[in-house]
Amino acid sequence: MHLFLLGVSHRTASVDLRERLDFSSRDVGAASEALAARSSAAESVVLSTCNRSEIYIASGDPARARDELVAFLSDYHQLPRDVFLPHLFVHDDVEAARHLFRVAAGLDSLVVGEPQILGQVKDAFQAAAERHCTGPLLSKTFHWAFGVGKRVRNETALGEGAVSVSFAAVALARKIFGRLHGRRVLLVGAGEISALTAQHLRSHGVAEIVITSRTPAHADALAAEVAGHTVPWAEMRQAMARADIVLTATGSQRPIISRQDVEAATGRRRAEPLFIIDVAVPRDVDPAVTEIEQVFLYNVDDLRGIVQENLARRGAEIAHAEAIVAEELSRFTAWQRSRRAIPTVVALRQRFDDIRRAELQRLEIRLSSLSPEARARVDEVTRLIVEKLLLEPTEQLKALPDEETQAAYTEAVSRLFRLGDGEAAEPADDETEATPADRRRE
Amino acid sequence: MNVLPLVLYAAAGVAYAIHFARRHPQAGRIATTLLIFAALAHTFVIGMQTMEVRHVPFANPSRAVSTFVWLLALSYLYLESTTDERAMGVFIMPILTGLQTIPALSPGIERMDPVLDSPWFWVHVSSLLFAYASFALAGVLGLTYVVQFKEIKKKHLGYFYTRLPSLQTLDVMNSRAVTVGWLFLTVGVAVGAIWTAQARVLAPNDPNLQAMSLNDPKVLIAVITWGVYSFAVLARQTMGWTGRRAAWLSALGFAIVLLNFLPINYFVTTSHTF
Repeated sequence: MHLFLLGVSHRTASVDLRERLDFSSRDVGAASEALAARSSAAESVVLSTCNRSEIYIASGDPARARDELVAFLSDYHQLPRDVFLPHLFVHDDVEAARHLFRVAAGLDSLVVGEPQILGQVKDAFQAAAERHCTGPLLSKTFHWAFGVGKRVRNETALGEGAVSVSFAAVALARKIFGRLHGRRVLLVGAGEISALTAQHLRSHGVAEIVITSRTPAHADALAAEVAGHTVPWAEMRQAMARADIVLTATGSQRPIISRQDVEAATGRRRAEPLFIIDVAVPRDVDPAVTEIEQVFLYNVDDLRGIVQENLARRGAEIAHAEAIVAEELSRFTAWQRSRRAIPTVVALRQRFDDIRRAELQRLEIRLSSLSPEARARVDEVTRLIVEKLLLEPTEQLKALPDEETQAAYTEAVSRLFRLGDGEAAEPADDETEATPADRRRE
Repeated sequence: MNVLPLVLYAAAGVAYAIHFARRHPQAGRIATTLLIFAALAHTFVIGMQTMEVRHVPFANPSRAVSTFVWLLALSYLYLESTTDERAMGVFIMPILTGLQTIPALSPGIERMDPVLDSPWFWVHVSSLLFAYASFALAGVLGLTYVVQFKEIKKKHLGYFYTRLPSLQTLDVMNSRAVTVGWLFLTVGVAVGAIWTAQARVLAPNDPNLQAMSLNDPKVLIAVITWGVYSFAVLARQTMGWTGRRAAWLSALGFAIVLLNFLPINYFVTTSHTF
């Protein structure tokens, strides 16, 4: 059974093509199911975000699976295959696992280390698992990937520091005020960054968002968007006196908030800090405001500077995260190798057990005089002997260091015990767990 | 006897430093565990000394320092457990370790002047030691507040920005530590004054008691300390002296406390033998 991956991502395809191959707008679980119904793949998971559409499958025949997947993509999205074929990337086995691990770690994201991808990978797996499209191989691989994502998050600073202006503003607010519950926000002027920032602040539990704008219609629109309320432009100073966080984004050509304005406001608010974020260009707030004790003033360039620093810091953590991926990948391949030994192990056990049963059968006449307890004992003892004899060879076979050695050993064992002869010649891939295809057949 | 807690405090300090620099949660948990063991060992030491001399051992400077360290460790552990914030440990541990070397190197002999044998004495000294432990915490919180404030104000978000708790958290913790410390300081000073008056009646010829007045540097500085912290508490309530001003005040206050505690104890002759 092989792991196989086929897909497009922001690295290989334009937004336009990614949109046309997107599964997430529809139900990804249903997509996995549709795929499972028509392909030979035993297991499948569809991962679809705005930056990627990827299909992971476990298949005994990757070449055939590839053709089936291309046909599936073409039919499902009603796109001629020539449109997307040049943008597809294809990985199998170790490379497919490496890709999934890097995706889960946030290393393959457009913004390196962005935190949502791990959740999206989990959701994709969950959706497929709910439709019984996953089996032992994908289950193990995806859970391993979750572990990689978690390790990278805990052990590196890859996801740390805000990488957008609005998040940087919220992070600063939290560093000044701690929890933002109960804090009051004043938005002066309405713009895209103020709307985004206000939404982030709202999600952090601020108590009140007040909006004022020279154009009341803009203020009303923004108020509806962020669940705030408006005050007339003339009352801006009073509103500032009540606010903890002030965000300005007007189109004014000259500063609209002077040092005196802020001093009047802070005078009334005793010594609680005031955080002013000026995202307007040209600036809305007189830079001298920063000289007032307890007032923190950041403009859009300051915030961009923080974002740049954070991005640089994340960049420095990439090597660390890649090292974790590499380490986990080598463990994962060791696990896969041990798994590949399973058919041989099963056949070997079968062979030994057959011999044991045959011998017991041969002795049947002599054993028949024994009491049932004694016969059970004989059966038990012979079974234990076989198990003990096989324990060490089994462990050794699973722990072989590389594929070639493993193939050689498997070959040798098969020949020594003539495993190719009996009915256990081509044993099932997995000894215990049935594949989803099997389950569906049942 | 004071060496084991010293070693454990130092080990906890190393773990807190690793936790702070690398921001590794595991190191933080190890640090807290080590500190808990240090505090337990210290409790045992102080318990033994109490059994030995039949009162809490602080009638000589070294043992008073040891008791102060113990109280500070407990206060810090309380702060950490209530706020789930370990960043302060790296600043507190050097104080604990540094001061603990004094009793570890010179244990001192506990000899009790009979005039001191009074419950008043016990209340006086333990209140003051606890107040000083609170002020130590407040001082460290104040200094870290100033560092953090500066980084945010100057828009230079560096090493401390990513490691320290928010300004608000630091300010609230500082306020609590100062208030608690001030309450105990007030009790300690008041009890000291009342008890001196009583003792004078009982032992009118004791030279130490005669010298206990504002002319005694120890007493004078204690009163100044009380003045500084009273101002800090009052100014926060009525004048809005929060944030950086409060932070500086608590750092200044603790500097005075340290001055009173160490050089004056050891180098200046005062009526207080500890």
